[in-house]
Amino acid sequence: MYPAAENERAEWDAALVQRARGGDVRAFERLYREHIGRVYGLCLRLTRDPSIAEDCAQEAFINAWRGLERFETRSAFGTWVHRIAVNVVLGKRRRPEPALEPLPESGDPIERDFTLDTPVEVDEIEAAVAALPDGARDVLVLSGIYGYSHGETAEMLGVAEGTCKAQLHRARALLRSRLEPEMQR
Amino acid sequence: MTDERKPKIRSLSELPRGIAPARDLWPQIAARLNAPDESSRSRTRLRAPRWQWAALAASLVAALAVGVWIGRGQLPLGMPGAGVHPTGPLEFTDASYVSDPRYRQQRAELLRTLDARLASLPPESRAKVKASLATIHQSMRDIEAALGHDPGNALLQELLIDTYQDEMRVLTALQDTGAPGGES
Repeated sequence: MYPAAENERAEWDAALVQRARGGDVRAFERLYREHIGRVYGLCLRLTRDPSIAEDCAQEAFINAWRGLERFETRSAFGTWVHRIAVNVVLGKRRRPEPALEPLPESGDPIERDFTLDTPVEVDEIEAAVAALPDGARDVLVLSGIYGYSHGETAEMLGVAEGTCKAQLHRARALLRSRLEPEMQR
Repeated sequence: MTDERKPKIRSLSELPRGIAPARDLWPQIAARLNAPDESSRSRTRLRAPRWQWAALAASLVAALAVGVWIGRGQLPLGMPGAGVHPTGPLEFTDASYVSDPRYRQQRAELLRTLDARLASLPPESRAKVKASLATIHQSMRDIEAALGHDPGNALLQELLIDTYQDEMRVLTALQDTGAPGGES
């Protein structure tokens, strides 16, 4: 999305949030219609189960409605509801993954995106992402697909930034090893 | 778009961020929104005579805030066509809600008795009502002006309908205060 369109979207969202805060369910439905794709997409990628993802997306919007008073209109509604969705998904998981040793700070930035030399079918990449362990997948989905920074991703997941980077490093290595056979075709 | 049935990509950032769920989740969400917290969120419902003035004032403040915010922050003020007559916007929109004859009749009736009802209010409340209605009408004009430039904009149409609903809430709340319905 172009920056101008993004700004326009944010302004409309803020107008709708303002109305929803006053109890206007139609305005909130409009927000739902605008954002459900990204929220459900995120939930699906984090849970790998369409039915659970639907539950999580629903819960995220209900929690958003109840928490509208706490929403800062200066920030993006989409990011805010994403944070809520991540909380819902994490809350539904029975056991957290064993903690990963944070990567020591170094001067080398860890790329958030993941780029292949040879194009691969979308379904194959999605399947490879889905096959990652929870912690690595969470970080890769948030930073690699949805474009959140290391800091934002760490905050959403409730982990240290170093841990986040370590998970991303792990995710990228696993993803590459899984996709390399595809790339040889 | 190529002829290949399955698109190929090289980067995670090329993956579509949005995925549509298999079914519409809104009905279930809406049902839960209206369940327990509805009463605390309603801004216009008048439950008992002793709360009437407070509820009316609260609803007017909310409508005013919404109106001011929309007028200043969202719509291109000063655009050509902004000087639409206050009662004129009905002619410029094809939104079914606004063009519904029953709605128009009810609105006309409420506007007809508006002055008499305003006259029966305490001065402070009267000032709030008038300020709120002025803000709402300004918002209507601004939205109409914006729609003049972008007639197919669904969000603008929805905002316009919402603004008419805001106006109707204020007018109805004013009527429900039980003020004598003197004819103007």
